[in-house]
Amino acid sequence: MDKKNKRASMQLAAVRALVYTIIIFLCFLCLFFFVMLFVNASRTNNQLQRGFTLIPGGHFFYNMKNAFTDSSIQIPQGMINSFIVAAGAAVFTTYFSALTAYGIYVYDFKLKKLAYTFIIAVMMIPSQVSAVGFVQLAYKYGLNNKLWLLIVPSIAAPAVFFYMYQYLKATLPLDIVEASRIDGSSEFATFNRIVLPIMKPAMAVQMIFSFVAAWNNYFLPALLLTRPEKKTVPIMIAQLRSADYSKFDMGKVYMFILLAILPVIVVYVFLSKSIIKGVTSGSVKG
Amino acid sequence: MKNNKPKGKSVSYAKWGYIFIIPFFLVYFVFTFYPQILTIYNSFFENYRDGLTQIGPKFVGLDNYKALLTPSDQGTIDIVKYFGNTIIMWIMGAVPQFVFALLLAVFFTNTRLNIKGQRIMKTVIYMPNLIMASAFSMLFYTLFSNVGPIKPLLVHMGILDKTFDFFFVTISVRGLVALLNFLMWFGNTTILLMAGIQSIDESLFESARIDGASSTRVFFNITMPLLKPIFVYTFITSMIGGLQMFDVPSVLTNAKGTPDRTVMTVIMYLNNYLGGSNNYGMAGAISVILFIVTAILSVIVFKTIDRDKD
Amino acid sequence: MMKMKKLMSGVLAATMVLSVALTGCGNEKSSAKQNKAEGKVFHIMAWNEEFKGFFESYFAKKHSNGDYYVGDAKVVWTIVPNENGAYQDALDRALLNQENAKDDDKVDMFLAEADYIAKYVKSDATMDISKIGVTDFSNTYKYTVEAATDDNGVVKGTSFQCCPAGVIYRRSIAKDVLGTDDPEEVQSKIDSWDKFNSVAKECKDKGYYMTASDGETYRTFSNNKEAAWVDKDNNLVIDPAVQKWMDQADMFAKNEYTILNDVWGEEKQQQMLDSGKTMCFFGPAWYYNFCMGNAMDTCKGDWGLCPGPQSYFWGGTWLLAATGTDNEKAVAKTMNAFINDEKICSNMVEKNQQFVNNQKINEKFAADPDYGNEFLGGQNDTALFVELAKDIKFQNTSKYDQLCNEGIQQYYREYLKGKVTKEQALENFRKFIKEKYPNVNVDK
Repeated sequence: MDKKNKRASMQLAAVRALVYTIIIFLCFLCLFFFVMLFVNASRTNNQLQRGFTLIPGGHFFYNMKNAFTDSSIQIPQGMINSFIVAAGAAVFTTYFSALTAYGIYVYDFKLKKLAYTFIIAVMMIPSQVSAVGFVQLAYKYGLNNKLWLLIVPSIAAPAVFFYMYQYLKATLPLDIVEASRIDGSSEFATFNRIVLPIMKPAMAVQMIFSFVAAWNNYFLPALLLTRPEKKTVPIMIAQLRSADYSKFDMGKVYMFILLAILPVIVVYVFLSKSIIKGVTSGSVKG
Repeated sequence: MKNNKPKGKSVSYAKWGYIFIIPFFLVYFVFTFYPQILTIYNSFFENYRDGLTQIGPKFVGLDNYKALLTPSDQGTIDIVKYFGNTIIMWIMGAVPQFVFALLLAVFFTNTRLNIKGQRIMKTVIYMPNLIMASAFSMLFYTLFSNVGPIKPLLVHMGILDKTFDFFFVTISVRGLVALLNFLMWFGNTTILLMAGIQSIDESLFESARIDGASSTRVFFNITMPLLKPIFVYTFITSMIGGLQMFDVPSVLTNAKGTPDRTVMTVIMYLNNYLGGSNNYGMAGAISVILFIVTAILSVIVFKTIDRDKD
Repeated sequence: MMKMKKLMSGVLAATMVLSVALTGCGNEKSSAKQNKAEGKVFHIMAWNEEFKGFFESYFAKKHSNGDYYVGDAKVVWTIVPNENGAYQDALDRALLNQENAKDDDKVDMFLAEADYIAKYVKSDATMDISKIGVTDFSNTYKYTVEAATDDNGVVKGTSFQCCPAGVIYRRSIAKDVLGTDDPEEVQSKIDSWDKFNSVAKECKDKGYYMTASDGETYRTFSNNKEAAWVDKDNNLVIDPAVQKWMDQADMFAKNEYTILNDVWGEEKQQQMLDSGKTMCFFGPAWYYNFCMGNAMDTCKGDWGLCPGPQSYFWGGTWLLAATGTDNEKAVAKTMNAFINDEKICSNMVEKNQQFVNNQKINEKFAADPDYGNEFLGGQNDTALFVELAKDIKFQNTSKYDQLCNEGIQQYYREYLKGKVTKEQALENFRKFIKEKYPNVNVDK
C-alpha cells in the first residue's frame, strides 16, 4: 500500500515537472517578445538601425518623452478614443450576444431554428468585405468620424453569440429558468439576475477578447476616422510608421506599441479575476 | 434532459424569444447584412475604378466567377492555389495551437496537479494576443530577416547556408506565419477551453476520482464530451479566422505572398482587387466563393464532431 | 431578394438619416452657394507631415490658440498613412464625394507624388490653377510644371521641390577602389553603364559591394524609358530600359556585386553605417538628407556626389488644387509662396537642405563659395544639382506607374534570389498588375 502511494506520488511529481517545463517554455516564448518590445522601446532610432540586441539602449524615457510631445499625434486623446470604442464594443457585444443566445436557447418559437441557422451562416461571411460596403454607406450618410458607428454594430456579433450559445448549452439547466418563473420573476429579471451570473466566466472571456479586438482594430477605423481628434491608437502608430524620413523614429514607434498594450493588460488582469472566481458554484445542476 | 417541460407552458413565452433576439437582428440587418448583400450583388457586375473614373456597374452575370475559376495556360487555377496556401498555413498553426491549448487548459484546471502561479502564467500566455498582429509581425520580421539575430547564428552553427533567406523559402515563410499565429492564439484558445472546463460540475470529477479513474480516462470520458460545445466553437471560429488570414502573411511578405505567391492567402488576393481599383465585382465574387468554401468546411466539422449523441 | 433589398435600404436610410438629424449636423444645401466667399477651413490632404512642417515653419500664421491660419481660414490637415495605398483610397473617396461634402469638409488642396500624380492631373478632380492666380512659373523647373499639366496643356499644380538625382558614393571606398574621391574624377570612371559595371567588378575584387540593393539603379533606367508602362491601347509594356535594368540586376546578382534586398530594405540601411561596405547609393537631395540617417550619424563627411551613368530624377511631391475648393485664395497663396517666395525658398535650402523649385535661389546657393553640405564633406551639392536639373524630363508616365515600379522590383527579386524562373517572375508580376488594374491588358 505504502509502496503504491509512493509510486503514485513520484509519478505525480514527474508529471508535474513535465507540465511545468512545458508551461514555462511557452511562457518564455511569449515573454520574449515583450522583452524585445521593451528593449526596442529603450533604444534610439539609430541604435535600432544597427541591429538586434537584448541589451536595453538606455533611452526609454527619452522615447517616452518624444512619444508624448509629438505635436501632431496626441496619445492621451488616442487612448481615450480607443477606450471609448473598445469598452463600448466589449459591453455591447457581450451583453447582447448573451441575450440573443439566451433568447434562442431557452424559448420555443417558430423562427427559432431559422434565426439560429442564419446567425451561424453569416458568421462565415468574410468580415473584410461587408466592411467595404459599410464604409461606402458611412460616407454616403456623413457618419465617418463618429465613434459610435464603431460601437453600435458590435451588438450583432455572430461569433460571440455562437460562443454564448455553446456555453449555455453546456451549463444552463432549464430547470433554473423554470424555478425562477415559479418564483414570479419576469423574463428579463430571470436573465439579468439568474442567468447572467451563471454566464460570468463566458462574459468575462468574451469581454476581454472583444475589448482587445476593438482596441487593436486598424482596418475599419482607419477608413472611417480621418479627423486628428477622433483617431484611435493603431491609426496613430501607422501614421508614425509612415512618417517622412526626417521624423521617422522607430524608437518612438516601439514606445507607442508598448504604451498601446498597457491599458489592455490592465483590463485583462482585472477581468481575469472574474474568470477564475466566476465558476458556476451554487447553481442547480441538471 | 433538454426539453422536458410541458409544451403548452413554453408556448406562452414565445414572444420573449422574439423580444430577446430583436436588438441583434435589427443591428445586424442595418449595419452588416445590407453591406453584405451589396457585396453578393456586386459580384455579378463589372464595377471598378480606373484612376478616378468609375467603370460600371455593368451586369456581367457570372463572368467574374468564370474569370476566377478558369484554369491558366499551365492548367492551374490561381484561387485554388491561394485556398491551398491559406488552409495549409492555418493547419500548420492550428494543430499545435489546439494540442497545447487543450493540454494547458487541463493542466490549469486539474486540482491534483495544483499548478502554482496560474494567474501570472495565464496572463503571460495570453499576452501575445494583445499586440496588434501587424506590430507582432514586425517584431518577427526583425528577428528572422537577414540582419536579424537568428540567421547569422544558424549560419555560424553550420545549419544554414549563407545565401539562405527566411523570407524567400516557401516552407520557412509558411512556418513563420504558422508559428506567429500559434503564438498569438494558443493563449486565447486556452482561456476559452478553461472557461469551458470550469463550467463542468466539479462533483463529476470528484466522483470519478473516488472511483479511481485515471487522468486520461477522466479527460476522454468526462472532460472532452462535456467540453465539446466549447471545443467546437473554438475550432470553428479558428477555422473561419484561419480562412480569412491576412495581416501576418501580408506584413511578412510585403503583401506579395513571396515566394512565387505560395504565401498568398485568399484575403490577400481579395485585397489586391480591392486596393488600387476598388474592384467590387471581383472582390465580391472572391468573398462569395470564400463564404461557400467556409460553409462547406464548417458543415463537415459540425457533422463530424458536433453530432448530438443524446 | 429585390424586395428585401428595398426594404433594407429603407430601414438603413431611415436609421442613418435619423442619426444625422439627432447629432445635429444635417446640412446639404451649401454646395449651391455661388458667391465664392472664402471658406473658413483650409483643408489639405497628405500622407505624411513633410510638407506640413515647411508649411507651418515658414508660411502659415500660428494663432494664440495653437491653430494655424492662412488668411482667415483655419488650416485642417487630413493625414492618412500610405499603408497599402490607403492614402489614395481616402483621397479618391474624398474627391469623388467633393460635391456632396460640407464646405468645411471639402478638400481644398492635396499632395501627390510623382508616381501617381498623372492619375489626378488627368482627371476632373483637379482644377486649372491659372484661374486662381498661379501663373508665374518663370523660376520653376520645367519638368515640375510638365508633370502637373494635363493632356490639354492645363496646369493643375506646383511642386515645392525639384528632384534631380545622382550617385552618392562613399569617399573612403572610392579612394580604395578608384584611387580618388574627387567628384569629377569619380564621375569620369562611372559616366557610362559599361564603366559603371566594370567598376562594380573592381569593387567586388576588393571585397566591397557596388550597390546595396538590386533595385538601386532601377530609377535611373526607368526614368529613361521610351514608352510608358501602359500604352494607349492599355497594354502593359516592359520597356527596353526596364529590360536593361533586369539584365544588369541579373548580372550584379550572379557576380555578387550587390546585396539582394529592397531599395528600402534593412540590409541596405545597415550598409550606410560606418561599417558599411557599399560604394554607391543612388538618389536625389532628399534621399541623403532624409533617408541616410545612419550615415549622417556615423560617417558624415565620408560621402561625395556625382552625376553617375545616366541623368534621372526620383520622386518629388506636388501640391494640387482640388476642384470644388472654397478656399481658392489660400490655395493660390500657398502654391505661389513655395515656388516664388524667395525667403521661404532660401529657408528651405539653408535649414532643410532641400533643392527647391526656384532656379534663382538654387543658383544663388550654387554660386556661393561658402555654401557646402557637411554630409558630403563640404561639397556644394546645389551647384551639381543645378546642372542636373536641366536634363530632367517628365515623360512616358501613366497613372499605373506606382505599382508597376514597385511590383517589377519585388517580383523580379524572387528570380534574382533563384526561387523562380525569370518567366515565372514576370508572370507573377503580370498577375499582380491585372489584379490591381483590371483594365490593363497584361497578355504578351
